[in-house]
Amino acid sequence: MLRTLLFFLAALAPAAYAAPVVEQDAVPGLPAVQVQDLHYGDVLFHFYQQDYFDSLVRLAAYREQGKLLAHERDAELLRGGLYLSLGQHREAREIFEKLLADTSTPKPVRDQAWFYLGKVLYAAGLYEESDKALRQSAGTLSEDVEAERHLLIAQGLLNRQRYDQAIIELSNWAGPRYWLLYGQFNLGVALVRAGEAQRGLAMLDSVGQIETQWPELMALRDKANLAIGYVHLQAGEPAAARVALERVRLNGPLSSKALLGAGWADAAAKQYEAALLPWQELQGRNLLDAAVQESYLAVPYAYAELGAMSQAVEYYEKAIAAYDAERARIGESIDSIRTGHLLDAAMKAGDDGRSGWFAQLATLPDSPESRYLYHLLAGNEFQEGLKNYRALDEMSKNLATWSESLGAFDDMVQTRKQAFDEKLPAADARLATVDVAAINGRRDALQAEFETAIASRDIYALATEAEREQLDMLDAVDSELALHVGDASYDDAREKARLARGALLWKLDAAWKVRSWQASRALRDLNASVYDARTRETASSRAREGAPEKNAALGRRVQRMSPRVAELAVRVKGAKSRQAERLADIAVRELEDQRKRLDEYSVEARYALATIYDRATANPAPAKPQDAPP
Amino acid sequence: MKTALISFLAAVVVSLPAFAADAADPPPAPDAERSALDTEVQSLRRDVVDLNRDLFMLEEDLLFPASTQVAVFVSMDVGTFFALDSVQLKVDNKEVTNYLYTEREQDALKRGGVQRLWLGNLKAGEHEVTAFFTGKGPHERDYKRGTTLKVEKGVGAKYVELKVSDKLTKLQPEFVVRVWE
Repeated sequence: MLRTLLFFLAALAPAAYAAPVVEQDAVPGLPAVQVQDLHYGDVLFHFYQQDYFDSLVRLAAYREQGKLLAHERDAELLRGGLYLSLGQHREAREIFEKLLADTSTPKPVRDQAWFYLGKVLYAAGLYEESDKALRQSAGTLSEDVEAERHLLIAQGLLNRQRYDQAIIELSNWAGPRYWLLYGQFNLGVALVRAGEAQRGLAMLDSVGQIETQWPELMALRDKANLAIGYVHLQAGEPAAARVALERVRLNGPLSSKALLGAGWADAAAKQYEAALLPWQELQGRNLLDAAVQESYLAVPYAYAELGAMSQAVEYYEKAIAAYDAERARIGESIDSIRTGHLLDAAMKAGDDGRSGWFAQLATLPDSPESRYLYHLLAGNEFQEGLKNYRALDEMSKNLATWSESLGAFDDMVQTRKQAFDEKLPAADARLATVDVAAINGRRDALQAEFETAIASRDIYALATEAEREQLDMLDAVDSELALHVGDASYDDAREKARLARGALLWKLDAAWKVRSWQASRALRDLNASVYDARTRETASSRAREGAPEKNAALGRRVQRMSPRVAELAVRVKGAKSRQAERLADIAVRELEDQRKRLDEYSVEARYALATIYDRATANPAPAKPQDAPP
Repeated sequence: MKTALISFLAAVVVSLPAFAADAADPPPAPDAERSALDTEVQSLRRDVVDLNRDLFMLEEDLLFPASTQVAVFVSMDVGTFFALDSVQLKVDNKEVTNYLYTEREQDALKRGGVQRLWLGNLKAGEHEVTAFFTGKGPHERDYKRGTTLKVEKGVGAKYVELKVSDKLTKLQPEFVVRVWE
């Protein structure tokens, strides 16, 4: 028995045949961008980290501040894409349509706008319009985006059940490996749906045998194998069904369906003992799974077929007990959800940055409010509703943070006003001691004096203080000597005075070149200093007059924001409460449906049990439990 | 029991198109079917984005006015084998940030994102900006490189880009500095 179980478990592990290996690098990503505006790069920095809200806020702010001029159209395209990522289809559509309406938009941007518009329309379920938009976007898209475009067109056709057209679209298509596998899968499904089962199964089989370590592709491989298995089962080919179903991973999300199918494949081949293995494996799993529910009826059915009536009775009774227990637990959970505890559990799951909050919901501790949460998320309506609820919760926290910040901003504006008023008298007094206009006048006079000296090569103008004193002294000597003209006793003194003046003039003349250059440089420095002084005076004066006005304008902006934040906070709170009620309604409705299904299974089990008892009463020969398989 | 088998098989076969749809993002319900609540959530998100945009600008105008604003950005232009661990930034010999990078942030930088590492206020005039980065290069080799530059702060905002690049010195990551007005 153990050996058979091990064999069965091994058979369900991923198969390793000579199949194509899919590299991790083959998974598509956005192409690298040559950033020409730093602020556009900052937007991308947040975008590449999937921080879409922050990226969108920065993009909108920088755009308003005119900091994205070099990337104007790229930024618009990104803005549309960000709205699309946040599920804001109306805004995204408006942006893409506006870009397309602008005839000056270059072709590469137009192609991308058509592609994203096609995605928006596809997400809105408008497949015809989406098809038209996507078909207009061909030409300049990157290889990965082109592949995605092609697959979206084909998927739109599949959604409209136009299988023949989808087959044409996907046949002979050669995209990058990652996308090609999805294309092959969809082609296989289209062929099966179009009645070409053999070709379809062969195509699905090529996907069902790939070797990969990439989780998304492992999930795709499981889907392909499950589809192959059930198509073969429906066609009455249990052996072929089992081969495909054994390739489904035992720890994957589709393993329960595969185990149930494997059991049915054995049962169809009258191998009831073999069928018991996968079915009994299912019995340890979550009873909300339809496959697990069915296994509770399938196991006693197999025993009954084997003629092991006492085991059949035992397992039918076990099934009834399990169904009843699960119904009671569902009732307990419904009561807990009605008291509003469901979302407490949903909000406990944080985002660890790798698997995300969605995956973490699977690991929540077992409690009435959280027990069925992960199961409920399988439904698109609940999943979308929970996403909205979490978004509203984040908005609520965001608004609360801003509300606090606005209080601090207001304090800051008031403090600045107070500080300005306090510092103003002292600053005014200091400014009053400086007469920049007078300094400027003196500078002008010096400049004029210098220019005249240069023009007339006035060497005396550049004399030092000592030289001026010497010149004055020589002038005095000459005046004295002039009083004694003709007196030969002064001839020696006259000669000395003439020599002294000559030596001084020679010195002044020799220094002229260096001194005129030094004077010119000193004037240049003076000009710069005077210019700085005038600039500072103007800036001080402008700041003195402008600062209170600027501060008051900031104060008014802060004041205007507060009611906006408060009004939005009220709206978000109301929407959050209504969203919580809606989620509780969906959850209760879904769990009521489950309870009803369990009721039906329970009735079926009771009926089967009664039938066995009736037969036993009609034919008292006992069943032989010892004949039954262990 | 056979009835159950047939019903189950039928359910699976009917669900086949769902496999196809699952192959990429499954389309949600068409817009027309969306409830008033969904529309309200969309409208709220739009309003919250607009509000955040206005508050983002207000905060910047209030805390970092253009007359004193200086921003230092970090970008990367390196091969696949260099992983940036941290950047330390000093302005006028005072440490203003010492940033450690997550794997996500490293990836965002390699794909062309530019990080606004520091946003601050400086008076008009000359200032000294010093930056060091650490990281791992080929063969797990540790790198530490630095750069110093003089920045003349004028009337308008000043932006400095520190690009970690290995283009200049082949497999040797270096800072390439560019000052933007």
